[in-house]
Amino acid sequence: MAMNERKTIDLEQGWEFMQKGITKLKNILEGLPEPQFSSEDYMMLYTTIYNMCTQKPPHDYSQQLYDKYRESFEEYITSTVLPSLREKHDEFMLRELVKRWANHKVMVRWLSRFFHYLDRYFIARRSLPPLNEVGLTCFRDLVYQELNGKVRDAVISLIDQEREGEQIDRALLKNVLDIFVEIGMGQMDYYENDFEAAMLKDTAAYYSRKASNWILDDSCPDYMLKAEECLKREKDRVSHYLHSSSEPKLLEKVQHELLSVYATQLLEKEHSGCHALLRDDKVEDLSRMFRLFSKIPRGLDPVSGIFKQHVTAEGTALVKQAEDAASNKKVGLLMTIPTLANYLM
Amino acid sequence: MRKEDSVKLISAEGFEFVIHKEAAMVSQIISNMLTSPGSFAETEHREVTFPEISTTILEKICQYFYWSLQYANGKETEFPIEPELTLELIMAANYLDT
Repeated sequence: MAMNERKTIDLEQGWEFMQKGITKLKNILEGLPEPQFSSEDYMMLYTTIYNMCTQKPPHDYSQQLYDKYRESFEEYITSTVLPSLREKHDEFMLRELVKRWANHKVMVRWLSRFFHYLDRYFIARRSLPPLNEVGLTCFRDLVYQELNGKVRDAVISLIDQEREGEQIDRALLKNVLDIFVEIGMGQMDYYENDFEAAMLKDTAAYYSRKASNWILDDSCPDYMLKAEECLKREKDRVSHYLHSSSEPKLLEKVQHELLSVYATQLLEKEHSGCHALLRDDKVEDLSRMFRLFSKIPRGLDPVSGIFKQHVTAEGTALVKQAEDAASNKKVGLLMTIPTLANYLM
Repeated sequence: MRKEDSVKLISAEGFEFVIHKEAAMVSQIISNMLTSPGSFAETEHREVTFPEISTTILEKICQYFYWSLQYANGKETEFPIEPELTLELIMAANYLDT
């Protein structure tokens, strides 16, 4: 490239040209009738930046261009993106956010390619964040910072609606929660602190309310059926739109509120509790009980306690029967032991 | 070469080099352009003009692209560079991020 012949591009002049490209990009993102970038547009924008960064000082404008790159995002976000988000609420706001995030990523991709030359040497020389990171950080610091609380509340509200049986847009929730993950740029901090913590708290409160009603109205088997169904639904929820890392934490909350808290009351229910189930040989309900309680810490201790009591009582009764029968010479002890053994299988 | 697999690189003097897309993508800049969201997928004008790269240099660069692909595939040969081209070649390589 004939550098010595090249005319020096003055910052203002060069920037004016870049601004045209940036405006074109914004128009495309806003859906205005704007022809796509041609390869010529692309090369000219890239070349302008390249030239302005490879000119001899004092016309080496790398720093200024790096700053103007960031400012381009800030300007667009404050003048257009934030206002459009602020005027919407609930589900509409979520949809707008998803759209704006997708647009933002496209904008970052294009602009970082035009300004690519800065990524080659300048950012390394000054240990600065690369262009991609600068772009995403703008969205995080301006949009996410302001709206994440509102977004979180809207999402949790939809989750509770779904829990009550309403149909919600699961794909929308997935897209919104992906933002919490992506904005962390490799870290899960934002997802965990700004969404998950509140979601878990809300979940605990929700199931605590439900449990306090069910424990009064439902028999032990019915309660357990509901608990099992809830756990299944929550697991399903994770697979559809929550981040997979939420699964153990979420299930733990549900199990705690539905099972741990009410374990004693549940198992000792007079006509339907553990003792009654053992007595009436309700194998299916007992299996469910085992499945559910084995998941909570020390969950099986009370169950095994009742079981032990039961076996002791049954065993003692059978032994007495045998003793009575032996004295009548009707049923041998040898007959009763297999009966007890069968019972325990 | 199928149209979808080729790109046309045009030098300052207007000389057109039609090469495989895969070869052209050795240049990060060309690769970026061809993989940008939206425009270029269906476009017919998969051609790029380099008003600041001379024909000689552009030709050498195209040769480099193919040599680079071969080298990556295990064929480790030397890439000859005439001394008088070095400076311009380096600048063009820097520009094209190759």
